[in-house]
Amino acid sequence: MTAAAERAPAVPKGSALAWIKERLFRNFWSGVLSVVLIAILAYAGYRVVLFVFVNGRWEAVSRNLTNFMVGRFPRGEIWRLVAQMTLLGLALGVAAGTASGSARDRAAEAGLQYDPPSLAGTLRRFWSLIAFVLVLLAMTTTVGPWLVAAAVVILGYAGWQSWRLPRSLRMVSWVTTALLLLASFQVVSGTDGRAWVPVALVVAAASWLGVPVERLQARLRRVVSLAAVTVAAAVVFGVYSVIGAPGVGWDNWSGMNLTLWWSAIVIVLAFPIGVLLALARRSTLPTLRYLATTYIELIRGVPLITLLFMGQFILGFMLPAGTNLSSISRSIAAGTLFTAAYVAEIVRGGLQSLPPGQAEAGQALGMGTPAITRKIVLPQALRAVIPAMVGQFISLFKDSSLLFIIGVTEFLAVRGIAHAQPDFRVIAHAETLVFVAVGYWAIAFAMSRESQRLERKLGVGER
Amino acid sequence: MFRVVGQIVAMAAVGALIWWLLSNLSTNLNRAGIGTDFGFLTRPTQFTIPYFTTFNARSPVWQMVLVGVKNTLLAGFIGVLIASLVGLVIGIARLSTNWLAARLATVFVEFFRNIPPLVVIIFFGAAVFTFGPLPILGEATEIKIPGSSNNLLLLSNDRWGIPGLAAQGNVGAYLIVFALGVVVAVGMWIWRTRVNVNTGAPHHRLLWSLGAMALFGIVGYLLLGGPFVIEWPSLSENRRVIASGFAMNWGFMALTGALGLYTASHIAEIIRGSIQAVPKGQTEASSALALNGFQRYRFVVLPQALRIAVPPIINQYLNLVKNTSLGLAVAYAELAALTSTSIANGRPAVQSIVVMMAVYLTFSLTISLILNIVNRRLELVTR
Amino acid sequence: MTTEQIFADATQAKGEALIQLTDVDKFFGDFQALKDINMNVGKQEVVVVIGPSGSGKSTLIRCINRLEKHDRGTIVVDGIVLSDDIRHIQEVRRETGMVFQSFNLFPHLTVLDNVTLAPREVRRMPKKEAENLAMQMLERVKIPEQARKYPGQLSGGQQQRVAIARSLAMQPKVMLFDEVTSALDPEMIKEVLDVMVELAEGGMTMIVVTHEMGFARAVADRVVFMSDGQIVEVGTPEHFFTNPQEERTKLFLSQIL
Repeated sequence: MTAAAERAPAVPKGSALAWIKERLFRNFWSGVLSVVLIAILAYAGYRVVLFVFVNGRWEAVSRNLTNFMVGRFPRGEIWRLVAQMTLLGLALGVAAGTASGSARDRAAEAGLQYDPPSLAGTLRRFWSLIAFVLVLLAMTTTVGPWLVAAAVVILGYAGWQSWRLPRSLRMVSWVTTALLLLASFQVVSGTDGRAWVPVALVVAAASWLGVPVERLQARLRRVVSLAAVTVAAAVVFGVYSVIGAPGVGWDNWSGMNLTLWWSAIVIVLAFPIGVLLALARRSTLPTLRYLATTYIELIRGVPLITLLFMGQFILGFMLPAGTNLSSISRSIAAGTLFTAAYVAEIVRGGLQSLPPGQAEAGQALGMGTPAITRKIVLPQALRAVIPAMVGQFISLFKDSSLLFIIGVTEFLAVRGIAHAQPDFRVIAHAETLVFVAVGYWAIAFAMSRESQRLERKLGVGER
Repeated sequence: MFRVVGQIVAMAAVGALIWWLLSNLSTNLNRAGIGTDFGFLTRPTQFTIPYFTTFNARSPVWQMVLVGVKNTLLAGFIGVLIASLVGLVIGIARLSTNWLAARLATVFVEFFRNIPPLVVIIFFGAAVFTFGPLPILGEATEIKIPGSSNNLLLLSNDRWGIPGLAAQGNVGAYLIVFALGVVVAVGMWIWRTRVNVNTGAPHHRLLWSLGAMALFGIVGYLLLGGPFVIEWPSLSENRRVIASGFAMNWGFMALTGALGLYTASHIAEIIRGSIQAVPKGQTEASSALALNGFQRYRFVVLPQALRIAVPPIINQYLNLVKNTSLGLAVAYAELAALTSTSIANGRPAVQSIVVMMAVYLTFSLTISLILNIVNRRLELVTR
Repeated sequence: MTTEQIFADATQAKGEALIQLTDVDKFFGDFQALKDINMNVGKQEVVVVIGPSGSGKSTLIRCINRLEKHDRGTIVVDGIVLSDDIRHIQEVRRETGMVFQSFNLFPHLTVLDNVTLAPREVRRMPKKEAENLAMQMLERVKIPEQARKYPGQLSGGQQQRVAIARSLAMQPKVMLFDEVTSALDPEMIKEVLDVMVELAEGGMTMIVVTHEMGFARAVADRVVFMSDGQIVEVGTPEHFFTNPQEERTKLFLSQIL
């Protein structure tokens, strides 16, 4: 047999004409479909361009931009929000940088090439968010927002430099991120209202993880852990009750600011409860199993709105007379009860996916059940469910729109403020709705893309 | 020993918590002068429900609950229909070789998946209906049937009129004829299946059965002198209501349309994922056996894809039914909306909410039960 | 119908070409998987194709039943020219049977239904006739007792034999085997190879892509060695294994024998 010289393929593969024939007109019906779709698209595109650039009464949005973003937040305290955004920018930068640094280390260890994220790649990754922010900036009339945006970008980039830190300082980096996040919450809320709740939770979790109990005897370990957690929570509560550092408690948050923080606070509060529920559901003690299952099935069987109603109307009666919870606090409680059940199911899935050999290995090493759970089972299970948890957060972010129905002014509800103004009573309803839809979409889309990316990187299977 | 003690402690702790909450509840309720019983269910509602003329302010509350349940199920049923049809089309379009169809389907899915259903509902409600381009009922747009003065559709921003059926008489007889038609159709099905088994000829049993049913339907209609007549929609004399045809109110249309499209995007993703999850080797093997595209889908791909798709789709149906609780936002009288109105009118909040949650829980548990039965039937047999 | 009668039309004189490949090229993007393939397979011939992975062996036989589309050259199967015309493709697929490395049995159907599906739907056979034929094929591969079971309940070797029966039920003129023993545990390879040897001795035209040299030596009429998308050497088993000509052939054989 003779060896043939390599020849180029017959049909020029890359030509545009070939592409059109293959993709749009492969056969008769496909061609018909393409023609119809192009016609519809052309007409729709024309109407959309008219709506966006010519006919749309976007003043309803541009004049209410601050309302949409921060609602009725006291205008004199806006500096707190600016500080919050800059701290968040810094925190995100540090987190991204530290993650990048870890990835770099792992690649170096494995002898693989590490490609640092490029600017173009990052822009493409978060295009929806960037586009939305640009649209917002385009509609502002003052220079303030531009400065804030610039500051956030600069600080984010500064935080990104943390990838250069040596491995020994990685833990410090992560702790710094957590502290920055806490600070961003703190700078706005001060010690007002129920601000101590999420802070106490985070501090208690940190003490449960951080206090070294391995050196102690088995029986003492549990007691000391529990004591550390309780003491931490109590200290936070005490400090917050005594020190009066006024801020703007979450009772006064509204707009997109509230939407984002409500979702974050609820998921932070629901997470430990959900994990405990999942563990209880898998427990060998039948009562615990029964209680947890009943709770989870009950909550998952009702729509969120019924729980929000419950929070609105019933919760107040269930607590001793005199405790006055604001609407927002009640909605956070209801949302937490709701989300905890879903988190429990997610974590239970993660626990089930773990091979039983893991727990068996721990037992063979002589570890007790709480230690096995804490050190072997939970870390792996939680890592496996990160994508699903992000999905739950996205769901929560979308469900926050229901607060509109119980009268809390979140992003969607600001439309009410806008359309109460005499100029916009009956017009521009579509415009404000489109703006709200775009706002939700830009953020949820970016988050879901990130979640898919995470799923691919963690190598977790689909569904 | 610890196990028993531990469980007793756990139950005691939970019991104590519940007891504390409930006792606070009853104390506070009594202090506020609100009863803690469920007697309110038999007392008059003291409000009316728009579009429901058989219901008035003197009707007892439990009747209001029934109206709410009926409306929830109606919206759920129609929503499920829309979501399934649209979701199926979009899901298959996503896999099309036509680039435009695939991309547009992707845009549809990515758009609806990332915005809250409430926003979609309010968009339909506000931008299409209430503040939208349609005229008020008195000046409703009439889409006429070409060549006659009857309306095919009546469009307004408040109610739409579509053709309805009006009974003329001999309805009972017609139903008997129709039932006969169904029996004959089943007979056709069995007969054609037998023909296929014995001779290998294609059975076309669906066509034969439907044909038989259609034949009976038409012949019966003619013989009985038209038991039904199509009623074209029209406005009343004073142009205040829709006097003939079938009227749908805007709340219903906004809710079902919005939820239908929103859920369709999720169903489309499930269908696409399930078809892609069928291993490529299955299509290759069926192609190698000379099965054509239709046969491949019917005998190999779809049975396997449906096994994967059905449980999450049923879950989406459940979500749709739960999402009908957002009918509040468009003043559609489903259960949550009615409960909210009833509380605003002074009915005891705690009991009303308990009743509402109990109803939704029943729906969910029923659907979950169905889901479990379906799951068990669908499992593939392995060692 | 006895098995002998089924293969009756394969008892014509050897040498009459059933499959002809002329100047066949195949590209995956810029990568050329098949280069200038020229090959004929005659009636009742057993051709074994060997070569390192990535040499294009699987691509070659998958082009024969159009699971892959060749870019240049002609492929003729039993007088039918393979083109974009779907009717020709269907005709070719009716006359060729393929057995895959990963079996690809239909998990939701019983073994019997797996085998009767194509005869009933493509050849329009009545159910009884199809089931009789299926049972004969299952007897041929020595597992008639598994007819009512589902693929998930069978071992790998049994599943592969069902796959062979499924293809045989269409009474093809050519059988294509794509590394059918590579995914099997060692103790099950023999039972599948035994079936294939019986098929060959019964006069079936076969193209077998495999690593099993014992099989090649036993029943092959010709052995084809492929490397880098080209046919490097062709010969009888005796010639091939004792006196290979090309360097690449010698290198490959030294690595596996």
